[in-house]
Amino acid sequence: MSNAAHRLLWTVLALVFVAAGGTALAVGLGWLPGGGAPLLGAGPANWWRAGTPWSGLAVAVGGVLAALLGQRLLAAGLRVPGRLAGTLAHPGDGGGRTRVTTEVLTAALERDLCRAPGVRRARVVLTGPVSGPDVWVELRVDPYAGLGAARAHVDAAVRRFAATVGCQPAHLDVTALVDEPRP
Amino acid sequence: MRTVNRVATLLLAVALLAGGALAVAEGLLAALGGPGPLVHRWYATLTTTRWQDAPARAVAGGVTLLGLVVLVAELRRWRPARLRLAEDDRWHLHRRSMERRLARAVCAVPSVRRARVRLRRRGDVWRPRVTATADPAARADVEFALHRELDRLAAPRRGRIDVRLLPARRAT
Repeated sequence: MSNAAHRLLWTVLALVFVAAGGTALAVGLGWLPGGGAPLLGAGPANWWRAGTPWSGLAVAVGGVLAALLGQRLLAAGLRVPGRLAGTLAHPGDGGGRTRVTTEVLTAALERDLCRAPGVRRARVVLTGPVSGPDVWVELRVDPYAGLGAARAHVDAAVRRFAATVGCQPAHLDVTALVDEPRP
Repeated sequence: MRTVNRVATLLLAVALLAGGALAVAEGLLAALGGPGPLVHRWYATLTTTRWQDAPARAVAGGVTLLGLVVLVAELRRWRPARLRLAEDDRWHLHRRSMERRLARAVCAVPSVRRARVRLRRRGDVWRPRVTATADPAARADVEFALHRELDRLAAPRRGRIDVRLLPARRAT
C-alpha cells in the first residue's frame, strides 16, 4: 500500500469516527431526540430473535468478511516495499493489449547506472506504453560522493537505454538516497 | 506520520482479523442455539445503557475527539519525503538521507559535538536549519561546511542558513 492509500484510508475512517461519534454525542446531550432510549432498541433485538438461526449465520458471514478484509490489509501492509515490478503495455491491432514485464530491460539499465561514480545501487521501474515509457529511477549514492558526475552518467545511461530499446522515455524521475557511511 | 499511518493500518488489520474470528465464533454458536458468553453480556449492557448515560456520552466524545485528531493529522501539510533539485528538474533527493548527510558534515567541524539538520524548501530555495551542540564561535565554520556539502550535492539556490548553536553543558 502506498503512503497516499494509507492517508486516504485514515482520512475516511476519521470522517466516519467524527460523524458517528458526533451524532451519538448529540443524542446523548439531548440536541437530537432519542437520548432516553437504550443503545440497542427493541427493533434490532426482535430482528435477532425472529431471524434465528439465520441472524447468527449472517453475523458469522459478516465476521468472515471482516477477517478477510483484515487479512488483505495485513498482507498489503507487510509487503516489502521496493519489490514493485513495472510492466509496459503494447496496444494491439484489435481490442487487445500486450503487457510486457520489464525485469530484463531494467536489469540492463540498473547495471549501467551502477557504473556511475558514487552510485552504490540502482533500481529502475518502467511503466506505461512500450514506445514512450515512464522511467522511475532510485539511486543509492555514496555518502561522500558529489552528484554532478553521477547526474551526467545517469542521463547518458538513460539515453543509451532508449536508443537500444528504440523508445522515447515520456517521463524520467530520479530519486537519490544518500547511503549511510560504512563502518 | 507515514510510519504512524502504516503501524495504525497494521493494528487495524489485526483488530479486523481478531474481531472477525470472534464474530464467526459467536455467530455460529448463536445459530446452533447457544448464544456465546460475549453476546449474552453485550446484549445485557446494550439494552440497559441509554444514550444519555455518562459512559455512552464519554465513549461518543472520545470517538469524536479521536476522529478530529486523526483528521487534522491527515489533512495538514506533511513534510515532503523528497526534495526536487530545481523547479523544472527531474532529479530529487531523499530529504531525510540528505539531512543526515548534512548533519555528518556539520559534525566534522571541530568543536561540534552533536548536530541535527532540517531541510525546508520554499519555491526554488532550500532553507537548511542546523541545531548543534558546539562552541558559538564555530558558527562560520558550520556555515562553510554546509555550503561546501550543498555545493557537492549540486543543490539549488539556497536561502539563509539558520544556525542555532547550543553551548555544551559542562560537568561541575
